[in-house]
Amino acid sequence: MNRLALSFKNRELSLLVILVFTIGLTSLINPRFITGSGTRDLFSSTAVVALLAIGIAPIVIMRHIDLSISSTVGFSAWIVAAQCAAHPNYKVWQAFIIGPAVGLCVGIVNGLLVAGLRLPSLVVTLGTLYIVRGLDYVVSNSVDYNSQDLPKSLMKLGETTYFGLVPFPFVLVIIFMILASLYMKFRKAGRDRYAIGSNPPAAELVGIKVFRRTFLSFVFSGTTAGLAGVLYLMRFAQVDATAFYGQELAVVAAVVIGGISINGGIGTAQGAVIGALLVQTIQGGLSALGVDAFWKQAINGALLIVALFSDRVLARRSERALLAQRIKERA
Amino acid sequence: MSALTSKTRQIRFTWDIVILGFLFLVWVLASLTTSNFLTSLNVSQIFSNTGEIMIMAFPVTFLIISGEIDLSIASNLALSSCMLGWSYRAGLPIPAAIVVAIAVGTLCGAVNGFLVTKVKLASLAVTIATLALYRGIANGLVGSKPISAFPDFWTSFGYDTFGNSFIPKALPLVAILGIIFALVLHRTPFGRRTLAIGQSPEAARFAGVNVTKHKMILFCLTGMASGIASVVYTFRFSLSQPDNGTGMELLVISACLLGGVSIFGGLGTMWGVVAGVLLAGSVESWLTLRNVNAQWRTIVTGVLLLSSVAIPVLIDILKRRRATAAIKKG
Repeated sequence: MNRLALSFKNRELSLLVILVFTIGLTSLINPRFITGSGTRDLFSSTAVVALLAIGIAPIVIMRHIDLSISSTVGFSAWIVAAQCAAHPNYKVWQAFIIGPAVGLCVGIVNGLLVAGLRLPSLVVTLGTLYIVRGLDYVVSNSVDYNSQDLPKSLMKLGETTYFGLVPFPFVLVIIFMILASLYMKFRKAGRDRYAIGSNPPAAELVGIKVFRRTFLSFVFSGTTAGLAGVLYLMRFAQVDATAFYGQELAVVAAVVIGGISINGGIGTAQGAVIGALLVQTIQGGLSALGVDAFWKQAINGALLIVALFSDRVLARRSERALLAQRIKERA
Repeated sequence: MSALTSKTRQIRFTWDIVILGFLFLVWVLASLTTSNFLTSLNVSQIFSNTGEIMIMAFPVTFLIISGEIDLSIASNLALSSCMLGWSYRAGLPIPAAIVVAIAVGTLCGAVNGFLVTKVKLASLAVTIATLALYRGIANGLVGSKPISAFPDFWTSFGYDTFGNSFIPKALPLVAILGIIFALVLHRTPFGRRTLAIGQSPEAARFAGVNVTKHKMILFCLTGMASGIASVVYTFRFSLSQPDNGTGMELLVISACLLGGVSIFGGLGTMWGVVAGVLLAGSVESWLTLRNVNAQWRTIVTGVLLLSSVAIPVLIDILKRRRATAAIKKG
């Protein structure tokens, strides 16, 4: 059992080592990267993707996927901006209700279609990706908002930093990460999700509430995407109907690079956050090296392939360890 | 087993009819509500707008039937299109540039196939990665300097029709490819093997099908089709740029699913897919003629995609419920 446990633990640990190594390497090229402002920059530019990665982590662990998140982020950000512009005396906390509420609705639709009708999540969330973005186009009617329309207090909160290093959006990410991590590790509902991802028919047979777990996971992912929309507003202070367009793949990449297996059953929330930080650091490092921004997308794709490949190698290794252990027990 | 086969065949049969009915319905409604839907200009528009989607949908049908998926087709189209323009700008004659584009497309398909069949990664994940990779390479190669000056002789192939008829010059190519792929799927051992792999890869392997090689061929064919589609696309718009065909992968896949190909593999007909592509194209054209805001079309695409998977499942649930009710009664 020890070797097996080690190979699982190794994922997050080795990722952390890679992250530290990459940060070190990047700082060698660009010394500004390791300074306080550089770190703040890294945290605030990663916050949205990291929060989304935490949101879809349980779904990917259950062998599902949610591609509609990027549309949800855009839609929620636009709705929040529109509401704040229409009601100048809105308090900040109201933005934090409206955004997640928008996401909640999308999550419920996804959850009902995937868990209720048992449709493939890939197709369902591709469909809702279209529909939500379409709604965004129709509702926004080419109106966009910038920092003058948004409440000052919201922007101020986005710039608040704690300990001089961690900006408020990333504090939210850390809170979500800790809660999700504890829940997935220690609650029965969390363990159930690993079981569902490892072997869906078996999970059903042993009486795990597959419908409830699947449905609630999609609701969670939708709601975090709605919250991520508020974080998006805080960071960019402007929004139009194309906000966060096509970024769902960046989130999937972060999750997979963070050691969550696309085949289900393996992964943690802290892995997802490390994955998001790693992707951002590598991008930062490459632009410090003077690599053209046009290559950014290609590098993301190549990174994802590398992550998938190492995931495969690790999975094969733990498979072998399991097999060896079983042979030993039998002998 | 035979009972199962006849049951699944029955479901598929009805779904194909439903799609054809839908297509007919859309045409009738569209010609009633607009004055120019069934004009030769508009029909030729529908055909040329769906040309590239059709070309890519043929091999993607095979791929989905065999239980795999390729999301990188549209990025592959963009990369092949950029290679076409890039090699033309570098001084190659157009026919040679076309060969380059199709070769690049096939190579990209082969890379997908290698990662899926040899490295044994999930095709969904791999092609999400290569979706970013291929379009990223196109971006890196061409960047913000699109190539747009192609000779008229070739661009007319993309947008022009034969004489005054409604037949676009690219249509024969699409039709020939369609006939070949349909015959291969429904009349050859290769097609039967594809269906067998989709029903059960294990059983197919035990029956002596080389699943790895078969899927590798399917991925290469898909890549090649993207290359061919890129040529038509580039000449139709006379433009080779990295943004070409953004989001087209979803149109292709939703058209296949709409045409009755099961996302779970093992089921599908080529004529269903042709009807699916035409249905999506006709709805789009109808909305355009009705001056429906372009923004609504994104929603319609999503609803079509969702209903293409939800309706067969709902029909199945209803049937099962009726069957159990009949058993309880009898």
